[in-house]
Amino acid sequence: MLDQWLPENVSTFGQGVDNLFHAIYWLTLVVFILVIGTLIVFLIKYRHQEGKKADYIEGSTTLEIVWTAATTVIVFVLAMFSYPQWNNIKSPTQFPENPDVVVQVSGKQFNWDMTYPGPDNEFGTDDDLVLENELHVPVNAVVHIRLTSVDVIHSFFVPQLRLKQDALPNRFINVWFEATKAGRYEIPCAELCGFGHSGMLGYLNVHTQADYDAWVQERWP
Amino acid sequence: MHDNEHASHDHEESFIRKYIFSLDHKTIGKQFLIYGLIMFFVGGGLALLFRWQLAYPDQPLPIIGASQQYIDEGEVVTGADRMWERIYESDKEEWLEVSMPSGVITPEFYNMLFTMHATIMVFFVVVPILVGAFGNFLIPLMIGTRDMAFPILNMLSFWLAVLAAIVMVMGFFVPGGHASAGWTGYAPLSSDAQWTGVEWGLNLWAISLLLQGFSSLVGSINYITTIINMRAPGMTFFRMPLVIWSLFIVAILLLLAFPVLSSALALLIFDRLAGTTFFSATAEGGGDPLLWQHLFWFFGHPEVYILILPGMGIASELIPVFSRKPIFGYRSMVYAMIAIAFLGWIVWGHHMFQSGMRSGMGNFFMTTTMLIAVPSAIKTFNWLGTMFRGSIRFTTPMLHGIAFVSMFVIGGLSGIYMANTPVDVYIHDTYFIVAHIHYVVFGGSLFAIFGGIIFWFPKMYGRYMNDALSKIHFWLTFIAFNCTFFPMHILGVGAHMRRIANPTQYEYLQGFEGMNIFITMSAFTLGFAQLILVFNFFWSMYKGKAAEQNPWQVNTLEWEAPTPVPHGNFGQIPTVYRGPYEYSVPGEESDWIPQAEPEHAPATSGD
Amino acid sequence: MAHNNSEVQGRQPLSNARLGILVLLGAETMLFSGLIGTFLVFRVGNVTWPPPSHIGIELPRVVTGINTALLLLSGYTMVQAWRAIQKDRVKQLRNWLLITGALGLLFLGVQGSEWVQLIRNGLTLQSGVYGGIFYVLIGCHAVHVLSAVIWLFIVFGMAMAGRFSATRYVGVDTCTIYWIFVVALWPILYVLVYLS
Ligand code: HEA
Ligand code: HEA
Ligand code: CUA
Ligand SMILES: [Cu+2]
Repeated sequence: MLDQWLPENVSTFGQGVDNLFHAIYWLTLVVFILVIGTLIVFLIKYRHQEGKKADYIEGSTTLEIVWTAATTVIVFVLAMFSYPQWNNIKSPTQFPENPDVVVQVSGKQFNWDMTYPGPDNEFGTDDDLVLENELHVPVNAVVHIRLTSVDVIHSFFVPQLRLKQDALPNRFINVWFEATKAGRYEIPCAELCGFGHSGMLGYLNVHTQADYDAWVQERWP
Repeated sequence: MHDNEHASHDHEESFIRKYIFSLDHKTIGKQFLIYGLIMFFVGGGLALLFRWQLAYPDQPLPIIGASQQYIDEGEVVTGADRMWERIYESDKEEWLEVSMPSGVITPEFYNMLFTMHATIMVFFVVVPILVGAFGNFLIPLMIGTRDMAFPILNMLSFWLAVLAAIVMVMGFFVPGGHASAGWTGYAPLSSDAQWTGVEWGLNLWAISLLLQGFSSLVGSINYITTIINMRAPGMTFFRMPLVIWSLFIVAILLLLAFPVLSSALALLIFDRLAGTTFFSATAEGGGDPLLWQHLFWFFGHPEVYILILPGMGIASELIPVFSRKPIFGYRSMVYAMIAIAFLGWIVWGHHMFQSGMRSGMGNFFMTTTMLIAVPSAIKTFNWLGTMFRGSIRFTTPMLHGIAFVSMFVIGGLSGIYMANTPVDVYIHDTYFIVAHIHYVVFGGSLFAIFGGIIFWFPKMYGRYMNDALSKIHFWLTFIAFNCTFFPMHILGVGAHMRRIANPTQYEYLQGFEGMNIFITMSAFTLGFAQLILVFNFFWSMYKGKAAEQNPWQVNTLEWEAPTPVPHGNFGQIPTVYRGPYEYSVPGEESDWIPQAEPEHAPATSGD
Repeated sequence: MAHNNSEVQGRQPLSNARLGILVLLGAETMLFSGLIGTFLVFRVGNVTWPPPSHIGIELPRVVTGINTALLLLSGYTMVQAWRAIQKDRVKQLRNWLLITGALGLLFLGVQGSEWVQLIRNGLTLQSGVYGGIFYVLIGCHAVHVLSAVIWLFIVFGMAMAGRFSATRYVGVDTCTIYWIFVVALWPILYVLVYLS
């Protein structure tokens, strides 16, 4: 039910995130129904009735062990399934190598600066291209982003990619994604960064390969 | 010492000594309670202001907005304006004009509102009531002693808290406005005035929290010493009521956690006022912006358990009493609280999953965080076990206890989503977090507080609170609370970010306007319900039905003391013969045996 | 049998005042942990320490080393004072307290003159995190020494007034505990800040 509110997923690792979301959703739903169900049954069944005394029960070691062990097992199983997903998204050693596109994204109050290295693939040279708030990438291609900020902490968030990463001043953090569907997606800033935080907004343009090539051709003829 | 029998009536105290600068733990406890309730209205009022903005972005506020319009444009729109006109005519408050031109909340002001909402609710409402009020009132009474170990420090603790509150509220009236970097005050946004434009507001925020830190320090030294050293004869550690255990553990957490925040605040103040660069990476020779987050959350996560553990303690009193059964698994309840408090120190990184920490650290913090589900499970199932085969009485305090358990479970389960690193990538900094916060602190802590107030009111003021009003308050609050905060899960799943002043700026959030309006209307209902509580509280203080000494037939020692409790608490310090939860003991005539009832004596009834 | 607070308390191994001070030290430890943690973050985060911009600056290791010895000595004399009152030797108590206080003041004096020197050499609060954390961390300790000295002189005054005996010396006791804490903390800071 909750999951129907998720925006469409358009990244390769997004499905893994969604699967975990669903798994936890069902896990917590079952736990919730069991706990609240038991609670309601107890409240009705053991409500005060004239002439009926409560039982004297101090506890049960067996039961304590059972629910301690059960919760521990559930927690560790859940964790085991989550490590690889997390590493896949955030561990630089596990990023797909040889990215098709590398972009530097820099947050500043209150815009995103997108810097393309140009044909020489090096930042800081003359053929760099800086765009404000518009990020262009091809579909089905591995994109690496060097994320940074010039003032305070911002957070690069693309809901449809299931990707979020804070941008820190004076530090470069690498993130990656591979979009699976062409389109124009919003890049809100997700970390409070001052009075313009609300409305700090960029756009991710995912083009088909042909469109992207045309775009590149136009910029660096 | 020879004056065993020193009771209050033999020396009259002046009004000031008795009600203002009182050394009596009960008076100080009540002072903290009223202080917390007043601040609750300040913090809640701020929430209602920004809820308006979220539902009707950039539309003037009702009443206040109209009066601002009047000031700006010189036109009277409604009758209520006259009142505001009188308030403002003599001296147009500059800050109001800047923050709410024509009565519309600006984004700067919005940031100040939620920053102060959270700061006030956490540091000036929930902690003062749970720890300050219940701690002070209950500890000496429930362990059977005459007062705290250091009464003067105790008074100091309260007045420092008052000073902190004054400094905090003053922040609204300085040029540049109040702190606006969130209650978490992330640097470098907070550490340099150029990023927010806030000068003294944020300094006052930090200074006020430092004062609050001193207040907590003094208080926790007092609690720990009192509980270790001053228990009545026979009151062994494992005969202490669970609420005392929870307050004991919380005092240790406060003692050890708050100084870390103080060190961070001191560094912040140096950065802002003395030109150091601890948190600013861009300056030459500069520091580390993540340092603040580590220090803050190393304090902050234990802090959230400070907010919930006394609530768990209160629930552990209410549920056995009104199920007329011993608490299920007393010792495992104690060990579970100790485990929560201990694990609380090694999970702080779960607030920083997206901050750029190494992914290995993420795995570590995910595992430790989810492990907290284990002691929480023990507690939850033990509360259920306590009701099992009980004889449950649905008094209003019990209703609050049940609400506590069920709402805490919802809040705790939503914590599992966030503890899970891949899912947190998506839901971090969305309304899912806001939903979690309020299910644990309102659904958890505040329901426990309400239950505790109604439960101990007869001992505090010698009267009952009006039950009809209490019941109306409970049901209105319970329903409005869920209507307010449950939909926030949905907003979060839809990636609705927190801390944004105007959701309509985002295309993908267009569909959520209706839900935001619904939430705001529920929030106003929720606020209205709290007026009933406060009215009931003060009305019952003078007009409530007189209560007998032990109206709920409870075993613990506070009910041994006469009502109203005299100075010095007990005529004679009671001796404790058994644990606190001996209800429905087989072969006994009555279904309760007070802790101070000598062995093998026939059980007597209440008064 | 009737009980009151003092009777209840009498059964305990530690009096309220002693226990209270020990609890306070828990908080003090965490305060310093926060600052030491900050220091370590900067120390570990920088390959060269002091950072390149501070190459010319030398912290006075030797003088501070001697100063460290002075402070440790004051710990010893403080314990002597404490021993003396346990044996009811009030005069010895006064003498040892006076020596301890003098050592404490001497320590502060040496530190103060070092700071003056360092500031002249260009190491200030504003010179990056190196200067910043140096003055904040060492300064925080200095404030603690100062309050310990003030406390000590209050105790000394009470000793002059003859308020202590072999059975009543809580004031000396608590002050000793606090003094030992402040003294024991210093070598850690010395090694970290001056020698690392
Ligand atoms: C009283 C306060 C309180 C309490 C008790 C908790 C309890 C928990 N919290 Fe929460 N938390 C906050 C207050 C609190 N929190 C606040 C204020 C914030 C936001 C701060 C900010 O950014 O402004 C926050 C944020 C927060 C985050 C950061 C999210 C983000 O910013 O991205 C995370 C992530 O892991 C988290 C996790 C948890 C977990 C796992 C628990 C656990 O302790 C919950 C354990 C309980 C249960 C699990 C339920 C009972 C158990 C069972 C019924 C057994 C069966 C269960 C299973 C098998 C799973 N919390
Ligand atoms: C103990 C903690 C606590 C409590 C009790 C509450 C109570 C409430 N909170 Fe709060 N909240 C937090 C702690 C708490 N909150 C924290 C920690 C944050 C994070 C902040 C951050 O991001 O930095 C937060 C953030 C937060 C947000 C997100 C803001 C954002 O990110 O943009 C919202 C939004 O709806 C919200 C709403 C509410 C509401 C409607 C209540 C209601 O339950 C309040 C009900 C009570 C009243 C309304 C009082 C009654 C008063 C009257 C009826 C008088 C009316 C007076 C006037 C109008 C002056 N809170
Ligand atoms: Cu940039 Cu928020
Ligand atoms: Cu946490």
